Order: sequence, then structure tokens, then C-alpha cells
Amino acid sequence: MSHDLPQGTSWRQTWAIVVAAYRELNARKLFWLSLLLSGIIVAAIAGLGLDEEGISVFGWTFESPFFNSTVVPSATFYKLLFTNLGVEWWLGLGSTVLALVSTAGIIPDLVSGGAIDMMLSRPIGRGRLFLTKWMTGLLFTSLQVFVFTGACFLVIGLRGGSWEPSLFVAVPLVVLFYSYLFAFCALVGLLTRSTVASLLLTMVFWFLVFGVQSGEALTNWGRTGSAMEIASYESEILRREAENPNDPYLEDLLEERDAQAEDDATWRLVHNCFMGVMAPLPKTGETLELLERLLVDRSGIQAPERERRGEGIFGSNRVRAREVRGEIDRQAVSRSLWWTIGTSLLFEVAVLVSCVWIFRRCDF
Amino acid sequence: MDNTSVIDLRNVRKTYKGRIEALRGIDLGVGAGEIFGLLGPNGAGKSTIVKIMMTVVRATAGGGTLLGKPLGDKGALARVGYLPEHHRFPPYLTGRQVVDFFGALAGMRRTERRLRTEAMLELVRMRDWADRRLGTYSKGMQQRVGLAASLVNDPRLVVLDEPTDGVDPVGRKEIRDLLLRLRSEGRTIFVNSHLLSEIEMVSDRVAIMVQGKVWAQGTIDDLTRSSRRFEITVRGAAPEWAASLGAVRVEPASSTIALQVADAVEAQPAIDRLRAHGAIIERAVPVRESLEDLFIRAVTDPSSGGTFNPGALRDRPSAPPPPLEAAP
Repeated sequence: MSHDLPQGTSWRQTWAIVVAAYRELNARKLFWLSLLLSGIIVAAIAGLGLDEEGISVFGWTFESPFFNSTVVPSATFYKLLFTNLGVEWWLGLGSTVLALVSTAGIIPDLVSGGAIDMMLSRPIGRGRLFLTKWMTGLLFTSLQVFVFTGACFLVIGLRGGSWEPSLFVAVPLVVLFYSYLFAFCALVGLLTRSTVASLLLTMVFWFLVFGVQSGEALTNWGRTGSAMEIASYESEILRREAENPNDPYLEDLLEERDAQAEDDATWRLVHNCFMGVMAPLPKTGETLELLERLLVDRSGIQAPERERRGEGIFGSNRVRAREVRGEIDRQAVSRSLWWTIGTSLLFEVAVLVSCVWIFRRCDF
Repeated sequence: MDNTSVIDLRNVRKTYKGRIEALRGIDLGVGAGEIFGLLGPNGAGKSTIVKIMMTVVRATAGGGTLLGKPLGDKGALARVGYLPEHHRFPPYLTGRQVVDFFGALAGMRRTERRLRTEAMLELVRMRDWADRRLGTYSKGMQQRVGLAASLVNDPRLVVLDEPTDGVDPVGRKEIRDLLLRLRSEGRTIFVNSHLLSEIEMVSDRVAIMVQGKVWAQGTIDDLTRSSRRFEITVRGAAPEWAASLGAVRVEPASSTIALQVADAVEAQPAIDRLRAHGAIIERAVPVRESLEDLFIRAVTDPSSGGTFNPGALRDRPSAPPPPLEAAP
């Protein structure tokens, strides 16, 4: 910063850009539409309720032996609604699409002829100008998620009887999730200077990330199930060997275990490939799932008897799907924040550094 | 006007991708307190020069100073007002918000900004419309607000790229008057325009750019000095010997002799000689090229009579324009 500039210039410039961005949001119909939809979803959540007999929807009770307040505590039910319906589906999908549509033009508009000239002719560094404009793109999501979380906080408090300030951890998590996508969107906007291209390519990128994450989840299911299946075989083989070393069934078990081991190698290979591809990419889904990990204690939920019995995987009844799911949940919990947020932030920082580098070298 | 250099560009070159030479070594100097007009055909490199000064485009080579500081110095930029051609302001902001926004970007404090915003809106006669969104403004109103935004930071140097673009004749006169007022306040004004007559009316000095180079720069008087002549119109045909005085242009009922002299004193012997031979002198006037004549000469190939390729050059330069001294 030059010594010739009045003190506080940087702050005044940043604040002016943020205020202008807020005025832009106010002028956009999509912002208000998104808020309206948030209101409808909060009203829907508030309209649902659990009691000892079953589930109530806007006052009408539907009796259910499997889904009532004895199976799921009321506060947990609302928190699950908030994390799954509210955050993962609405904020993580519907509202995100609206936010992208609304903010994809921020960088192309910034670099368009006639607009960028007056900005760059002012005493503001290019890097700071770009990053400030990028951050204003997060304003849409920040306001949406803050209002939505605030409303859900009231609903859970009033209807579920549990006041949970920790709900507001959704604000940084959802903004973080959106920032991964918006960093990519900004890069495309800077390179193509086109709102449509940045919106569409960001959607494609998001879909690809989702595809890789789904592939990883699927192959992890296979890999985990396979490992558990082998462990089950080995446990039975050891047991039978101890009881009767000449057990005629042992040979079949060894063959089946070896066949499963071959499958296991394939599962591991494919899963490792997906992990390799996924490592440098932003963990969009996992970032949102962190919220449920942080907010919802599932220990109070009684699984229905049918699910407790469960069904086997790989055509056998050795390992039940529920056990595999439990193991995968344990893996998810054991995954470090560094893996989920750290690698995602590394991706985001790399993209933003590239953007700033390009923006500083561009002629307009 | 004093001799302090407000803009000093040295050997500025710009080559765009595709080896397009937009600027081929520009030397340009603008003194404090003057109105400087930059002229040139489309693509001559005028906007590129302005953009380099405003750090919107980076020079490939060369450099210079703005308000005594190297190009790009933030302190210098805080004291510059700039209105680009085809500017585009956020349509969701009101006129007042736009002016205030650019004041804040220049680092102005809130109280000072408010006062200056009101003063500038008053200056461009937009105060009554200041609370309407820009999306509802006409082109001329947007131009006025743009001017207010470029002046809000109380600049020492005002750089205007086609400031009268889209403005009606009354508005143009107001802008010309505004430029003169700004000059009287000691500010330096750099105007980039196609409108030669407007530049001629207000500029202290001009530069004419052709094919990425400054073809000529100086006061209009200096630039047209070599074209000065004295024209004597006599009734009927001029005597044959009049051709020895200068070029003779024969008209239906008269003839005009163009004397290559600087003023009326030097023309007196020729007048005396013509009168001594009984010629009836209908008119005797000093004549010089207009800025438009000068401009057309800069972009015209004397050998073919056609215009040079006026814009940026790709790979190899074409024939250079004739030197300034080669006045008709």
C-alpha cells in the first residue's frame, strides 16, 4: 500500500465492494426466491412432528410402530431433518444451484470491458480486487444459510425442545462447501469471461466430483464388505480347524475364501484408483456430511427389528448390510478433518492462486 | 499552465498476442494545468495508451510517470479521475451510489465522500436523478454520472476517453465548459476523442496518433505553422506572373493566389504588385490548416491519395505517414 493513500483505504475499498455486492443481491429476484423457498422448507420441517404413536404432519397423526418418538427422540428427528433435508438437499443442492445461477456472473461481469477499466484505475491491487469480488460471491450462500439455520434453530428449540446453538456450525460448513464450487466457477469465468460457460462448466465439474465421490463410496462398500466377508471366512475356518481339523467342509471354505480374496484385490484396486482421483478434488459431499457427524448422536435411535436382522451381501449371509454400513460409518468418522477439509482447501487455494496469477497478468 | 510534467511516457510499446503491434514506441508529455487532446483514427492505439496509463493494460516495453510517480503507483492513481469509453456501471446502483462507490475505491473518507458526491452530482446536473437506478438512465445521463464518478476523488489529472460519446449537442457544450472549468481549477485534462472540432475548441495541445505512433504533438498553432499562407483573391483571371508568387486556384469569376508567407506584412509586396498591374483585389486573408485538414493529412498516403491502414500493424509496418512539415 502506497504511503500516499489515506489510512484505512484498504478497509474502505473492501467495504464498498461488499456493500455494492449486497445491493446487487437485493436487486436479484433469485435471492428472494431462494429465501422464500427456504421459508417454505422451514415451515414444512416445523409442520412435521413425532409423538409416541407416530408421525404428525401439520396436526394429522399417522400411527407408526417403526417411526415414533420412542424409536427416534424428537430433537434428533428434527436435527436429522435439518441435516438431511435442510442442509444436504436444500442448502447443498437446491439453494446451491440457485446461488450458482445468481453468482456465476460476478467474475465475468468484473472483467467485462467498461467495468474493469474504472476498477483497475483506482488504487486497489489486482489480487485484492479479485479476491474481494470472489468473497462477495459467497455472500449469497452466507445470508441464505444463516437465515435458514436461524429459522431451524427456532423450530428445533420450540418443537423439539432442544436449543442447539451448535446448529450454526452449518453456516461455515455450507459456505465452505460452496466456496469450493465458486472458486472453480471464478476460474472458468476469468478464463472464458462468460457467465453461461462458467455456470455450465461448474455444474459439470460438480457432477464429476459427485461421480467420483459416488464411485469411491460404492467401491468402498465393496471393499469393506469383502474384507469383512474374508474375516468371517477366516474366523470360521479357524473355529472349524480347532474343532475338527478333518472337517470336510474346510476345503470348500478355503476355496470360497480364496475366491473372495481375488474379488477383494479387485475392489481394493478400483477403490484405490477412486481415492487417488478424489484426493486432490474438493470433498463436497463429505464436507456437508460433517454436519451430521457433529450434530446428530445416533446412539439414541432404535433401529427397527427388520433392519437389525438385516440381509447379507455378496449372496451370502456372512456379513449383513447393516454391519457393513456401520463399519463404513466408523471409517467416515475416523477420516480426519485434514482429509475432508484440508485437501479441499488445498484445491481451493490452488484454484484461487491460479486465478490471481492470471488476473494480475491479464490485459483488459 | 506550468512546465511540470503530469504525464511523461517514454518509448511505450505494446504488442498483443498474434503479434499485433498496437503501440510502436510512444513518447508523450503532458504538462500540468493543460487540456491535452489525443487524436487518431480507429485502432491507432489511443485507447491502448490510456489503458496503459490507467494500468488496465501492461506495456510490452517502455514506461513513464504519472503525476511524477511510476505508472501503476497507487498514490498517483488515487489522484487520477478516469472515464473510459463504453463504461459500464452496475445497473442496480443509483447514480449517487455509483459516485460514492468510486470515491470509496479511491480511498476517500466517508464525510469527504458525501460532500464531494453531492457537489459532483450538482456539477453534472444529475442531483435530481441521483436516487434512481442506473438501469433507468439514458446514455447521456450515464455519461454525466460517469463524469461525476471520475471527478469525485478531486483528481489532479482527469483522463477522459470519448467523453461526449452519446451526449446531445447541449450536453457536449456543457462538457466542454466543464473541461474549461476544470482547467481553470488547475487540473490537467487528457481527452481522447474522435471529435476533432471539439478537441480544437478546448485543447491547449494535441497529439495525433497513426499506426501506433505519435505522428505529431504540440499546440494546434505549432502543428499548423508550416501550413500557414496568405490568400489573395482577385476578380477575373490572375496575371500569368502571379504563379511565381504562389499556387493559383482559378474559380469561375475570380482567382486565388496562395502566398507561402507567415503574416499580412510579408504579403504586402505581392498585393502592391497586383494592384500596380490593375488587379482588383476582392479578398486578402491569412489561412492555415484546420485540425481536420491536419488529421486527414496524417492519415493520407500522398502518393496514392488513399488513406493509410490506420490501425495496429500485424508483423510488418506499412509505409509511414508523411512528415508533419510536408504541408500542402
